[in-house]
Amino acid sequence: MPGDAKKPVLEIRHISKRFDTTQALDAVSLDIYPGEIHALLGENGAGKSTLIKIMTGVHSPDQGEILLDGKPIRIGNTVEAQAYGIAAIYQEPMIFPDLTVAENIFISHRDQGAILRWGKMYRAAEAILGQLDVHLDVRQPARGLTLAAQQAVEIAKAISLKARVLIMDEPTASLSAHEVTQLFKLAQALRDQGVAIVFISHRMEEVFEIADRVTVLRDGKFISSKLRGQVTPEGAIRDMVGRQVEEFFAKGQTQRGELLLSVRGLGKEGVFSEVSFEVYRGEVLGFAGLVGSRRTDVGLALFGVEPADSGEILLNGKVERMRCPDQALRLGIAYVSEDRRALGLTMPMSIVANISLPMLREYLSGLGLIKRSAEIAAAEQFRQRLSIRAPSVHVEVARLSGGNQQKVMLSKWLNARPQLLILDEPTRGIDVGAKAEVHHMINDLAAQGLGIILISSDLPEVLAMSDRILVMREGRPMGVFTRGEATQEKILTAAMGQNSGAGGRV
Amino acid sequence: MNTLKRYVRPEQIRELSLVLLIFVIIVFFGAQIEGYYSGRTFNRIAGDVAIIAVVAVGQTLVVLTRNIDLSVGSIVGFTAYFVGTQLARHNDITLPWAVLLAIGVGALMGLINGVVIAYGRVPAIITTLGTLALYRTLLVNYSNARTVIIDTLPKWVPELSRVNLFSLGTLEFRPMVVLAVAMVVIFQLVITYLPYGRRLYAIGSNPEAARIAGFPTPRIVMTAYVLCGALSGLAGFMFLARFGNITVVAAQGMELQAVAAVVVGGVNIFGGSGTMIGALLGAVMINTLEQSLRRWLQISEFWRNALLGLLILLAVASDAVILNRLRTLWARSGLQIKADAVQAQVQEESRHVA
Repeated sequence: MPGDAKKPVLEIRHISKRFDTTQALDAVSLDIYPGEIHALLGENGAGKSTLIKIMTGVHSPDQGEILLDGKPIRIGNTVEAQAYGIAAIYQEPMIFPDLTVAENIFISHRDQGAILRWGKMYRAAEAILGQLDVHLDVRQPARGLTLAAQQAVEIAKAISLKARVLIMDEPTASLSAHEVTQLFKLAQALRDQGVAIVFISHRMEEVFEIADRVTVLRDGKFISSKLRGQVTPEGAIRDMVGRQVEEFFAKGQTQRGELLLSVRGLGKEGVFSEVSFEVYRGEVLGFAGLVGSRRTDVGLALFGVEPADSGEILLNGKVERMRCPDQALRLGIAYVSEDRRALGLTMPMSIVANISLPMLREYLSGLGLIKRSAEIAAAEQFRQRLSIRAPSVHVEVARLSGGNQQKVMLSKWLNARPQLLILDEPTRGIDVGAKAEVHHMINDLAAQGLGIILISSDLPEVLAMSDRILVMREGRPMGVFTRGEATQEKILTAAMGQNSGAGGRV
Repeated sequence: MNTLKRYVRPEQIRELSLVLLIFVIIVFFGAQIEGYYSGRTFNRIAGDVAIIAVVAVGQTLVVLTRNIDLSVGSIVGFTAYFVGTQLARHNDITLPWAVLLAIGVGALMGLINGVVIAYGRVPAIITTLGTLALYRTLLVNYSNARTVIIDTLPKWVPELSRVNLFSLGTLEFRPMVVLAVAMVVIFQLVITYLPYGRRLYAIGSNPEAARIAGFPTPRIVMTAYVLCGALSGLAGFMFLARFGNITVVAAQGMELQAVAAVVVGGVNIFGGSGTMIGALLGAVMINTLEQSLRRWLQISEFWRNALLGLLILLAVASDAVILNRLRTLWARSGLQIKADAVQAQVQEESRHVA
């Protein structure tokens, strides 16, 4: 157990970092002690990832400093971080599949000498893995190792580099229960050897199983840091929430229409399972959950991008099998992706071309050529309806602001005249004004009788905009809350699997 | 079986099967063609393979990093011609200087490729397709469409591909063949035992992880291109020594032969795995098959490209299907994290069944 007399190995002092319009970190200070497992808690976007990236030299802070053993250091890149003894392992380990286990452990070593001595390296690798009580064949290529074994290799690498601070960013997210136990044994063994461990997890029970100290961040600010004995799961969740809902446009009451979509026992091997819900016309169904809750995957399954492999989808009472987006589009389902760049818009093309793209066959003349005038008329109509701020509809989408790009993307899918609209993080990365406009639009569309699924990591947004909220956790539905009964605490508690018998690991 | 799996990698099985295939080819054509088993057959094949193998060694360095160099044929042609004209003009240039000149010119051309690809971030296939044409045009322009003629060269040049260093039975080993084998061995040692070589594998295996591990990726990739260029330059000198008469189309299409040798030799075209020995075996296999087929069917040299194309397709397809299967098979056995973990898994599974 950590003694108070101990000096922190790493001190983070008033670190701030800003990305465009978002203040990712706002004067955060944190002490990290040797021989202690220090859990970082916070909602999505609370600033945990940014803090880690600053500690490992991926980002540099705008303000503030980092002290190692009381001396200020500058971490310019990951190599320098390693030299200072700061290493990180991630949910998806960074291994070289073609190199052997031993090589993966020692790849970052600069002091191997001019000629590689394989025998020596194998023995050293075996010694480190033995010390961790992990049994892997160090001569095998790392290809085909289980995720848990890959993490073990990463941990061995950190040890070989004499890491003093080991950051574990959601290491358990894709592990089985047994593998988590193994990983915790490793973490505890390292702690007992005096390594400081920064542990990030969305699973409350894990945090309270393993952490010595629990720190909560919220909206880029430091909220609290307490020893485990002084904090309860309920208290931590209260610290994580505590945001006001008033800044959001609340959804107006609309008349719930007839049943539009009914999903029964939808599942996809290893991704999500037993997902059932209904969407009525004129209703907004919110999807809440933390990173890794697989909400987006359910959306992608409904749109046919990554079809589900079990369960039923009923649209207007008819069973439909979604095999590809084209089919979903014809059935009146549209999906507005969270990733505008990769999946949503064709950046170098004009607003007109982007909007007409999914529905090109409607703009063909008798000769099979595209009718430019009809295309432009449609784009103009959307520009006015959604007040897209652009000099003309011929401007390249890449030159618009994030909020306006979002509107173009919405136009594109609204142009397909869907009955069901799936919105995945529609307000991520856009400013407050544009956000309010998007919320207005959602409300209007619902009033027009569309069924809307709103996937959002922004809890207050989900609460303000949804008629009902489905909470997911690790691919399983944790319950549906009506507008009346939903509170931030209730939703976060369900999303973290705390105090609910239904939750289980995949 | 598991001990076997421990020490033999799927990639090595591929190399063993190549050796077997070469053996089968030789036995088959030995039965079909009269006088096949002769010193002359060996010399013809070995002479061609020597040049291709040296180019393939350079190509392997580049391919390991998930890149490609299509300009090698033009580099071989240019250096062969350039060194040839210099030797014709200055008959007093000695062997070491001629070799150094060839290597230097090749390295310079490789450097241009490397800088544009590694620092300019232009895709390798586009860059080297461009320099493939550029270097060839440079040769055409430089030569004024004249040819290097063997009689104008110093006497020792053509001698190089005729003298016999040592013999094994009726098989004579010429200096060029020994040089090629030496290159294969040296660079095999480089990629196995030098940290630089291991980084080539690492970059090709997972570029993102290489970046996070803090490797100077651009410098490593650029060096690979410089080495590839230098080896192509050396091959250019060998080409000059072998043929003596050099025209502007010298070594045209050699990039296809080099890539074919590398790919057939089991070097993964997506980087990260492969050996120099494999590339050599690939070159031997292709050349033996090609020359034997030509003698057997009396077909023209123009069939060569069709054969090369077919072999590349076969090699890549078998990589995708067979090697991946083998790898999964290997991965499944003996890589479990712990004995009791396996037991727990079994228990968990049996619970699900129950």
